[in-house]
Amino acid sequence: MTTTSDPSLSVWDPKAVVPRRSLILCALGAILGLVIAGYGLFTAQGTRIAGVSPENAATVNNVPILRADLIQQVASLYAIKFAEATPEQKHKALNDMIREELHVQRGIEMGLPNDDIDVRAALVGATDAQIAQDTLTEQPSEQDLHIWYAAHPDSYNSEGLMTLHEWVLPGSADEAAKAAKALRGGTPAATLRLKTSGRVDDGEEYYFAARIHLGPAIFATARKLRAGEVSEPIKGTDGFHILQMIANQLPVPTPYAKARDEVLRDFQADKVKRLQTANDRFLSKRADIKIASDLQ
Amino acid sequence: MTSGKRTVSHDHRSKRMRLAGIALIVAAGLALILGIRHQIAQAEVLRADPDRILSNFQLRVTALAGGKTVFERHCASCHGGDGRRNEQRGIPDLADADHLYGTGMVSEIEQIVRYGIRAHDKRGWTLASMPAYASAVPYASEPLPPQTPDQIEALTQFLLSFTGRSTNPAAAQQGKAQYVAAGCWDCHGHNAEGDEAVGAPTLTDDIWLYGGSHDDIQRSIARGRAGYSPAFVHQLSAAELRDVAVYVAAFAEAPTPIYSREAP
Repeated sequence: MTTTSDPSLSVWDPKAVVPRRSLILCALGAILGLVIAGYGLFTAQGTRIAGVSPENAATVNNVPILRADLIQQVASLYAIKFAEATPEQKHKALNDMIREELHVQRGIEMGLPNDDIDVRAALVGATDAQIAQDTLTEQPSEQDLHIWYAAHPDSYNSEGLMTLHEWVLPGSADEAAKAAKALRGGTPAATLRLKTSGRVDDGEEYYFAARIHLGPAIFATARKLRAGEVSEPIKGTDGFHILQMIANQLPVPTPYAKARDEVLRDFQADKVKRLQTANDRFLSKRADIKIASDLQ
Repeated sequence: MTSGKRTVSHDHRSKRMRLAGIALIVAAGLALILGIRHQIAQAEVLRADPDRILSNFQLRVTALAGGKTVFERHCASCHGGDGRRNEQRGIPDLADADHLYGTGMVSEIEQIVRYGIRAHDKRGWTLASMPAYASAVPYASEPLPPQTPDQIEALTQFLLSFTGRSTNPAAAQQGKAQYVAAGCWDCHGHNAEGDEAVGAPTLTDDIWLYGGSHDDIQRSIARGRAGYSPAFVHQLSAAELRDVAVYVAAFAEAPTPIYSREAP
């Protein structure tokens, strides 16, 4: 090879070293580089990766659209298996998902999390749900559940049952007291001209139903009565009420083995609540929150 | 002579070192090739239609091998190693053909593993749960009438009658009407055959998630049920989710063993 500056020799002769050719190639390279950079700058579609990962059906600005979600979308849209869907159906579903992703990204660009109350509510709910979701992937030990069960005995009792009469007497307190005494002595209610209130005449009731029917105050009296007992007269707006208990089955503890699903549910719900509260504290602590002096 | 021996010994040592070096390079190369082959095979599993993986030998072997590890690490604590029913815990049998949600396809199972059941992910199964009829408000999301002890007993007798176990035919007959009045039909269907779209089990067979004795059924009606399955979307990779879904679907493949060399 020879180095030459003789203009008569061809610039593109590969056997000769020509400084002009080097300069031309350099300039071409620089121009090409500038064109690519300019195109990238003005079209601005973000960093691209070489292809789509196998688990993804597409990516939108590097945000993946999962194949699994596409399969679910096709199944939901057309009520068929993915294998039975036509290419058009698959494209339609995928295009819908791409459109959704584009709108989500555009919404974030536009600051919708700040402006749209539905988006804000959804984000608050989703943040709390995320904590709950992560909590549920950890299974508590049986020992933890036993401790919870032992600490909350009333939560796993059976619902109590009662069958009773509620008599109403519009007369005086003395008459009511005499009627109650007669009932205790075994005199039939019909003989005493007592009328039923009609609130507990359907036979055996759960405690929760009796509480609703009788009201909290009268129910509290009823709950203490044993089968065959008659209450003292209770003054009401329509006269004196006398309770006559037929049967009263108190709540009984449910064995752990039978209540385990409820114990697990309550244990996890409590854990979720505690973690959500802790998250609130953490967010407040790390945030720079300034409150106007008149509102502090 | 000593110097000569030393030279021979040194030659032997350097020869051994060279051989060891070559062996190490070959082993590393093989490991790399196997790793790449596994990556390629796993990518094929991910690209494949999930519902066709079990019928393709190569995809099946890859997915089952990966799925077994994931299942043992994340699922076996509740489902047991063999995926069998546990009525005390409300764990369904993964190895039978009875499916609470969906029809047992790999794609459906993958959605359950990914987004869970009542796992606080809106993409998961959260449509319904069993109301607690022995309470003032049996169901928070829909007004349903509380039931009296007699009505719950009638409903219990009605359900027992499907398998010929009712001990009170009159109550069972009353329970049939109560089934409609209490709104049970809304999830379980007018014929009590369930609805896999909301996870409502069939009530006419003898498969019970929480036990099928009189007391178990009565308790389910009185206290309600709301089992859950966690959402592993943030815990497992896409490959792990797919593999474990295939592994679970293979439980119900009778009688072909899950590691059979033959595709079903």
